[in-house]
Amino acid sequence: MHPDCKQIRRNILMASKASGHGHIPTSFSIVEMIYATYRAMKHNPAEPAWAERDIFILSKGHGALGYYCVLANAGYFPVEAVKTFGAYLSRFGCHPDRRKVPGVEASTGSLGHGIGIAVGMALAFKLRNSPRRVFTLIGDGEANEGSTWEAIMVAVNLGLPNLTILVDFNKSQVRSLPIQNPGERLKAFGCEVHDVDGHDVPELASALQASARGVKAIVANTVKGFGCPTMEENMFEWHRKSPDEKQYDELLRELDARSVAA
Amino acid sequence: MRRQFKDTITDIAARDDRAVVILGDISHYLFSAFQEKHPSRFYNMGICENALISVAAGLSSQGFHPFVHTIAPFITERSLEQIKLDMCYNEFGGNILSCGASFDYAWDGATHHCYSDLEILRLLPGMEVIQPGSRKELDILLRSQYDNGRPTYFKLSDNPHNIDLDVRFGKGVVMKDVGADVTVVTAGPLLANVLEACKDLSVNLLYFHTIKPIDTEIIARFRKTRFLVVHDGFGLREAINEVPGLHTAYHGLPDEFCVWYGTVHDIRKEIGLDPAGIRQAVAGFAAGA
Repeated sequence: MHPDCKQIRRNILMASKASGHGHIPTSFSIVEMIYATYRAMKHNPAEPAWAERDIFILSKGHGALGYYCVLANAGYFPVEAVKTFGAYLSRFGCHPDRRKVPGVEASTGSLGHGIGIAVGMALAFKLRNSPRRVFTLIGDGEANEGSTWEAIMVAVNLGLPNLTILVDFNKSQVRSLPIQNPGERLKAFGCEVHDVDGHDVPELASALQASARGVKAIVANTVKGFGCPTMEENMFEWHRKSPDEKQYDELLRELDARSVAA
Repeated sequence: MRRQFKDTITDIAARDDRAVVILGDISHYLFSAFQEKHPSRFYNMGICENALISVAAGLSSQGFHPFVHTIAPFITERSLEQIKLDMCYNEFGGNILSCGASFDYAWDGATHHCYSDLEILRLLPGMEVIQPGSRKELDILLRSQYDNGRPTYFKLSDNPHNIDLDVRFGKGVVMKDVGADVTVVTAGPLLANVLEACKDLSVNLLYFHTIKPIDTEIIARFRKTRFLVVHDGFGLREAINEVPGLHTAYHGLPDEFCVWYGTVHDIRKEIGLDPAGIRQAVAGFAAGA
């Protein structure tokens, strides 16, 4: 595990315990994806509205806690602030609000929306001949929504090489409507597909940097709750749960037992 | 009215390179000249109404002025959540112009009717809701509102009235003030029928093209009268009642699907929104029935 990503996970646990709100497993599955994306993007934490920045939209908004901790790691705000996660008058809701959190470009939560907004932004940059790029992260559960596929069809038809769709393939839909072989589906829809280990930062970086002639889709094979076997093996139980003191210590111990790699 | 939309947006696009047309596979050939002139700002994006709104919101977020156009029930009722969240909650603007108002597609049956759009969109924070009654009203209101950064809905009809009114966004029109104790209220193309029905009745008549924000001042001027809202949709009566303490009644849609086919005029006659039906309703209301 990348050392920064391990620290981000520690922060996720800390904020969840402090706030009493969860969504830890889904946040853990996307840490490397968002971390690698922000390393690939042009952005400026000191000036979130910088006119030349690239755009990231977390379409699966319920991964907000992971997103906030990556943004904090990048320098958008102190991670201590995220302890107010979900609290009355906090900036940090359990789904991100672009009007409240520096760096957040679109308010998401209801699934199947952020990706469509991302397509519109990518079209805007194409119309302006701008080099700015747009990245959006969707979940495999989110891919149950028809609007997700509408947006992908439109994006491919418009020809948007400045758009990258990251798919968190954490298989959480196994109990309802699994999205089998998302890479094949995305390819059939016309995307240029990269299939990667979603917890391998260099592999993600390589896919993010690869040139594309059309819409790029990166299928990131991930594990919900990655880093803590307790959550990996009980992802449904932990879906919205926040750890108590004892569980927190145990999860930290499990996390710290993971070896560190670049 | 669609032709007026095309004429107005063609003129706007010639002067404003932020104007972008997004069609849901309707009115394609109507916009042939526009497409030829502005190929990079014309998209017949497909039959995917949810995506049309989300993409428009994304364009708007980067300073463009999208004009999304397709059939009313599909772009409003089907895409309500996209309008609510992607446009209103995100504060990304955009213009939505529907066709097939209320019963313009009477012959296509209830799947193509749309009479709740004004009401459901009126409930969304930040939304502007407009039902122009004539080509001239559309031209005036589209020019005044298209670039204000707010989500704005225009309910277009293929059966406009031809009454010449100078309108202003957010301002109602007093069509008739005879000091009566009954005030008839209507909106959009139905004005033609209402005006004819009331021409020799002793009632006041108010007309609205802007449903949100509703002109509460003009309503308040008549607050001591009894109001009869005559409308081929939901939303106007609810808007009128933003002024507290009014006595209002409604003559319009029944609580059933209007499945008789034919034309808009056939449907209006069936439900009492032709001039004779309106006249009977107004006269009965005025008599206290």
